[in-house]
Amino acid sequence: MKKESLVVRISGLSAFFPVILVSAIFLAIFLKALPLLTIKSWWHLVFSSAWQPQKGEFGLWAFIMGTISVTAVALVLALPVSLLTSLYLAEYAPNRVRKIILPALDLLAGLPSVIYGMWGMLMVVPLVSKYLAPFFGTSSSGYCALTAGVVLAVMIMPTIINVSLEVLASVPASLKEAALALGATRFEVVRHVILKKARPGILAACVLGLGRAFGETIAVLMVVGNVPQIPRSLFSPAYPIPALLANNYGEMLSIPGYESALNLAALILLMLVIIFSLLARLYLSRLVRRSG
Amino acid sequence: MTGPTAVIFKRTRKAKSSAPTGFWLGARTWKFFWLKKLFLLSLVLLFSLSLNLPGAEPEAFFKTNKFPAPQTSPELKGQLSLSGAWALYPLAVRWVEKFQKINPGVKIDLQAGGAGKGMADVLSGLVDIALVSRQVYAEEIKRGAQPVAVARDAVVVTINQNNPFLKLIEQKGLQKKLLRQVWVEGRIKTWEELLGQPGNTPIHLYTRSDACGAAETWAAYLGAHQEDLKGIAIYGDPGLAEAVRQDPLALGFNNLNFAFNPRTGQLHPGLAIGPLDLNDDGQLSAEENFYQTREKIKQAIASGLYPSPPARDLYLVITRPLRNKLTATFLLWCLEQGQGLVEEAGYVRLSNEILEKEKTKILAEFSEAQRVAKSR
Repeated sequence: MKKESLVVRISGLSAFFPVILVSAIFLAIFLKALPLLTIKSWWHLVFSSAWQPQKGEFGLWAFIMGTISVTAVALVLALPVSLLTSLYLAEYAPNRVRKIILPALDLLAGLPSVIYGMWGMLMVVPLVSKYLAPFFGTSSSGYCALTAGVVLAVMIMPTIINVSLEVLASVPASLKEAALALGATRFEVVRHVILKKARPGILAACVLGLGRAFGETIAVLMVVGNVPQIPRSLFSPAYPIPALLANNYGEMLSIPGYESALNLAALILLMLVIIFSLLARLYLSRLVRRSG
Repeated sequence: MTGPTAVIFKRTRKAKSSAPTGFWLGARTWKFFWLKKLFLLSLVLLFSLSLNLPGAEPEAFFKTNKFPAPQTSPELKGQLSLSGAWALYPLAVRWVEKFQKINPGVKIDLQAGGAGKGMADVLSGLVDIALVSRQVYAEEIKRGAQPVAVARDAVVVTINQNNPFLKLIEQKGLQKKLLRQVWVEGRIKTWEELLGQPGNTPIHLYTRSDACGAAETWAAYLGAHQEDLKGIAIYGDPGLAEAVRQDPLALGFNNLNFAFNPRTGQLHPGLAIGPLDLNDDGQLSAEENFYQTREKIKQAIASGLYPSPPARDLYLVITRPLRNKLTATFLLWCLEQGQGLVEEAGYVRLSNEILEKEKTKILAEFSEAQRVAKSR
């Protein structure tokens, strides 16, 4: 009928809207980055770590490494804690405890990131400079990749926990009951049935967390130190791409090539996110196929 | 339509048609009503914004009106928008409040977001006036920026009050060429080296991460640009002050108004100022020592004892050709009556000669705009 087909058409169009939007964003950034790419080889721009815009040096390697290292630290810290938390909440926690923890998690997820940044400056930075760095035998101002990783880990934990909690809860009760009926202990059920069944979903949760970690800007830039060099250790400062963009986007007018370079950095960030989520998707589809 | 969709559609339509109209009749309707209002409001807002766009000002305005017009009158009408440097923001807030109070017909929109953003906004025509706390680059002047100096302040070296070398620093002062080796060349890495002592205590060096006037001015003092400054980069002036407060070995810099408490005029607890040894004799002589209170530093800046840079002029930047008369009126007011607010906001007044020079600049811009309008 006529009305029906109209609805189908409109909703179909709006379904394609995200696709169009992504390509439009991609295209706009690419076009803005193009002027610099025509002057200099992309190889040099990506793999050089000399960043001196006033002298026409736009090497982005230090920023790429900064992004990857801070994100890696955050994931390494956040993953074990959030997986154990969601497992406990899904399988072991009494209802009473769940009722306390779940709202707290929602609150954490909803906090503005500036608050996390402030907390990082006031608590984590002194903690790292006064206790952690001396403990590992080095000195640090506290504004470093580790601090940013800690703040970021706290920020992405609610996301990972919430999603993997959903995934764990969606494991059919009949599977668990079957395993229990065969004489498996609670732990064996968790290990051999639930985790196995939920693995793809948990991976998806991690990818979501990863995406947030890659893009988080203000909280990271408040504690990461913002020094454009490749971080040599956890205790040395880093400079991730989002921080670069946020710090400098206003000032690009007067320096030739600056705006182009920032757009190239944005393009690289976009590609990083896309590559990682594609990899995860590939792994996911293999996992699903293998488990039949 | 068939199936369950049809039912849903019918139901919603029915519910809508039978829904009561008027805001007193239930929360749901009220919500719609409110949305509608919001929509109308945003339309009005959009419309008024479009009036403020460059070029919308009638050219006749320049032709017919005499200038300078009285700067205080209920007839003065229009809108202005300002954006830019944090360093100038506290003063701009006072100016804007006062100007709107004496001219009820004028609406002024003020935003802070850094000198770089302000400059970008004014050149692209998003705002009428930019607040800029560094030298305006030749490139920007070529694109039509016209800076008008309105006040002065300074960037000062900040250290922690518990710095183990505080006594020595206050006795010897910090030499420019050594500071350059710390910040720009990265050759000096310990406090002892900076002060000519044996020992090995690292300097924890800080700078600003956001593109800002303070870092650019401080870099200019050391013969460099912001991007050449080494050190951990912190976002924002308050952030940098906080980092120095927490780190006994810190060496940083701040705008005068963020090193001192604006209300008491005293240093923020935990901070100390690193005095500059201006004549490079390795001693901080009596006339070089003016860092005890904000008042004393301000006097040193005004008399030129504290060099520029790191003392600097703060600018309101407009574009040429002048976009509207109100911009010129506001600027003139800032240079005349507005100067009364400069001191109490914690800044240093410009000398009368400079103020007169800046005023002629505005008048010249105005007559130029008038000439262009007439010749068209």
